[in-house]
Amino acid sequence: MSSDYGFQQLVLLNSAGYERAELPLDESVSLIAPNNTGKTSLINALQYLLIIDKRHLDFGAHDKDKARHFYFPSNSSYILLEVTLPESGSVVLGCVGKGFSHDYAYFAYRGPLKIEEYRLDNGKLVTQPQLLEQLAQHGRTANFYSSTEFAEMVYGGARKRGQTSSEFTVFRLENRKDANAYRQVLTRTLRLDKLSSGEVKRHLLQIFSRQLPDSVVDFKQEWDKAFAEVNQDREQYRAAKNQQKLIDELERQQEERLAIRGRIIARRPLIDDGLERWQNHYQTESERLQHQLGKLQKQEAELLQRDREQTRRQSELNQRLEALIKDEQRRDELKNRFALVNDRSQLEQQLASATAERDRQIALLSNAHGQSAAAIDDLIRREEKELSVLGKEQETLSDNLYLTLKQHISEDQLSVLNRGLARQLLTLPPGDYQLDPNQLHRWLEGMAADRFELPGLNLSVADQPLQYQQRSNEEISRLIDDCESRLQQLQEQKAATLEMDTQNKRKAKLEQEVKGLEKDLEQFDELAQLQNSRPDRLKEIAAARQELEEIEHAQEQAGAQQQALREQIQGVANQRQTLDAAHQEIERGRQNRGDTDEQFNWLADLPHTPWVGDPELPLDQLAQTLRNYQQDCYQLKELDRDLQHRRITLHSGGLTKFQYAPNPEEEIRLMVEFRHHLAREAEALEKKARSAVVTVTASLRDLRGNLQSFENAMHEFNRLISRRKLSDLKVFRIQPVHENHLVEAIDLLIQTAEKVESGESFELFNQSSVLDDRQLDQARQLLIDEGSARHGLKVADLFRLTFELGKENQDVESFDDIDSAASNGTVLMAKLVTGLAMLHLMQDKSRNVQALCYLDEALALDAANQRSLIKTASEFGFALMFASPSPLITAHYCVPIQQLSNGKNHISRKHWQILQPLETVEA
Amino acid sequence: MSNTSQFQQIASNLPNLAHLFRWFNRGRHLNRISEPVLWEELERNLDDYVAIFTALGFDLRLDGRGFAWFHQDDGSSNTNKATRQLALLFMVIFDTQADAGIPLMKFEHWRIDQTLLTTVFEQHQDLLKAEELDLSGLASLMRTAENFGFARYDSGAWQLLPAVCRYLDHYEELASQVDQDEDVSWASDQDDEDNSL
Repeated sequence: MSSDYGFQQLVLLNSAGYERAELPLDESVSLIAPNNTGKTSLINALQYLLIIDKRHLDFGAHDKDKARHFYFPSNSSYILLEVTLPESGSVVLGCVGKGFSHDYAYFAYRGPLKIEEYRLDNGKLVTQPQLLEQLAQHGRTANFYSSTEFAEMVYGGARKRGQTSSEFTVFRLENRKDANAYRQVLTRTLRLDKLSSGEVKRHLLQIFSRQLPDSVVDFKQEWDKAFAEVNQDREQYRAAKNQQKLIDELERQQEERLAIRGRIIARRPLIDDGLERWQNHYQTESERLQHQLGKLQKQEAELLQRDREQTRRQSELNQRLEALIKDEQRRDELKNRFALVNDRSQLEQQLASATAERDRQIALLSNAHGQSAAAIDDLIRREEKELSVLGKEQETLSDNLYLTLKQHISEDQLSVLNRGLARQLLTLPPGDYQLDPNQLHRWLEGMAADRFELPGLNLSVADQPLQYQQRSNEEISRLIDDCESRLQQLQEQKAATLEMDTQNKRKAKLEQEVKGLEKDLEQFDELAQLQNSRPDRLKEIAAARQELEEIEHAQEQAGAQQQALREQIQGVANQRQTLDAAHQEIERGRQNRGDTDEQFNWLADLPHTPWVGDPELPLDQLAQTLRNYQQDCYQLKELDRDLQHRRITLHSGGLTKFQYAPNPEEEIRLMVEFRHHLAREAEALEKKARSAVVTVTASLRDLRGNLQSFENAMHEFNRLISRRKLSDLKVFRIQPVHENHLVEAIDLLIQTAEKVESGESFELFNQSSVLDDRQLDQARQLLIDEGSARHGLKVADLFRLTFELGKENQDVESFDDIDSAASNGTVLMAKLVTGLAMLHLMQDKSRNVQALCYLDEALALDAANQRSLIKTASEFGFALMFASPSPLITAHYCVPIQQLSNGKNHISRKHWQILQPLETVEA
Repeated sequence: MSNTSQFQQIASNLPNLAHLFRWFNRGRHLNRISEPVLWEELERNLDDYVAIFTALGFDLRLDGRGFAWFHQDDGSSNTNKATRQLALLFMVIFDTQADAGIPLMKFEHWRIDQTLLTTVFEQHQDLLKAEELDLSGLASLMRTAENFGFARYDSGAWQLLPAVCRYLDHYEELASQVDQDEDVSWASDQDDEDNSL
């Protein structure tokens, strides 16, 4: 299906090693030249005019700078393309070198391409600076364009300089967005044999991309976005739920705080006023009490003084009274004693007689003389003893020891014995002694005349009288008589002496009597005196008693008074003390007011519960109220701290939702409110979680839908490329194959969401199960991992393309890589068809402008395939150019490249060979 | 020279080159599912990687089903032994699952836990004992499979990775050969019959 419009010829002047090259493009061409003689560079020259965008120019192994040098060695190097367009007929698109910089400029004009018009009169090619002028001389209105402008012109872009949009539009695309993809594929059409599987996929995706809008899905982001709020809310919900008790406590404390604030706000002015009033009150009251106390103390002192005086007087009176009573008693005593005495003279008389008797007695006694009775008794006892001795002597006078001795011993010897032995011994009767005269005689002989010896004792008896002298009985009787007479006298004397003691006793008694009488007299006088003073005394006693009684009474009264006074003083002191204590306390409160903090100044601006207590503050309640007020202040501060602390605890417990409330009070209020609505929150959370699942899968659904659209498009595409038989292939398809793990994951999530949406698994599908389901989670994780590895999931990530080839009588086989799928020729054809089909898809089908498609190494194809390709290309709107060392007779033109002697290549119109079937020629 | 510098330039654009080389050189398979990031990098720069690895004498293969490896035609004896044992492992697993009526192509979804391994072991005791493998040997084989990138361990169970397709392909190939042989023999029988007719 050859078109009337399209590429006509390509001309290279002084470029790419060609001095001049004229190449027909209106029909299939077989370009003939040995290898490495510039076939490809000829075709690549078209890139400058058709691809334009420097980024997309592709010269294979050569870099773009080298290519520039190669194509534009001078400012008279030209690449010219003549195209016939439906709107403007023949146009020329050109590219000319700018000289030394090897840069180039685009130009275009209406009209056919005539090489002569580029030749100056001197036969040389026109240079770039003179080009427009030169063309104008030939009636061509040419303009230079920037590459951007030029590209827009060629691809039907924006209108410039009043041109109609389609004046130079070669390629009109169904969609302008495709221009980029089109250009890239077009680049490849110039070398379609190099088309790789990856490129096919990329280009197909580009081509179909307009059917797949916004096809990149960052699943993780979508998921996070959809669940961010849910997760956040859920965390907040859990934090609140776990800390319910804390929040309740918070609420209680906050209420307390509000109440306290209200109380403080209401009481503060009352307290201020009260304190002021108190100061006055305290001073006045204090002075009054002081004064009162002073007065009372003075009274007490006076009372005490009086009491002391009274006591002193009392003891004085008591003493006096005692003395008086004693006198009175004395009087009574004396009066009793002298009851019988009427007169003093009576007593005086008694005294006088007593005195006279005494004096007589004294005289009596002075006459009496003698020894004392004791001495007389002594004499008596001696006389009686002498008498008894004499009696015994008289009895033994006839026979005694002396007489016996006298008979037996000498006179001297007797004298010694008489001086040595006692008289009584010598007068012993015979019965009382035993005498051995011999023995005695021997003993006495041994002794001296005046010595009395006893064994161990030698006594001198020289001066000793004779103890016994033999008297006569008469002598003895006379002696006895004398002794008896003396004894009588002595006994008389003794009687007289005894009489004298009695007299003496009588004298003493008489003297005693006198003395008693004198004393009586004295006492009598005393009595008389007492008697005389008695009336006075009695009076005095009465007076004293009277006074004592009065004093006692007064003291009794004073005691009561004192007690009362003391009580009064105590009372005042107590009052004072109470006042002072109250004052001290109030003062303490005043000094350490709890409301000095900054916050108390604007407490009224803070939220509070109005206080409905008494608006008055009596002074007597000031201390208590102040105390309560202080307590409130401290409690408020403590609550502030507690609440702050609790709030932080709640934060660290995860409840941060209200952290950005305008102030902590508001945050607390919101927290409490949130806690009260937890049940409702749970419900809302569940709803949100569900809608999140639905939301997150919406994007997946888009992606999945896009994949479906792409598959449909691929189906169409396959129909397009299967229209013509390729070589011996029965089947040639490009098939998208799902990346199963991804597509399945997406499908799983979509299905789950559908269940949620339809409410089918309402009970099974709660938020915890959606997040905890293992399979679901794996699917989610997979999509997230893939998405993050690829910076978002695209439709392209969901499938890979396989090339399915089936020869006659053989099973269809799939190949990842087209190059390995079949023989060279088949692969070449497959690529060509694919590429052309892609370009065809993008073109505006209503406007046929035939372009060019180039195939190197064309000898790999047999003639039938060559024909088939030419036809297919033509159907897609392309003229096919085969390059090969030897001519292909299937092409319309055969164009050989000639090498000149100067080493330059040359293609002249003159060398074109046109091949036509004989029938046609004959016809 | 120019080649070297060219490679250096390419390598500098491939941050994971060393990592991937070590990965593959240990005989490990890279699976798209388990290593999406590495896979994406490999896929994006496939031409460069192939060029470099080829230059180093390695044959990087990439299967469209989502796995890649260094292909070796003649492995060392050690690898051979491991390969043989793994072949046995996968075969017994697939066999067990096939007996249970579980579709084989979804092998990626199987949870290969101790219970499954026990079943596998019980059903193939003779075969495994001949290879001197007990139940714990089976588990340690799974770990070997893990090391070679045929499986991954996740929350108490192994999951087979797409690389197992290499074995599965082999089994299918062998099976189809057997089928063909059978077909042929059957056909020849037919021929005989035809002849006889």
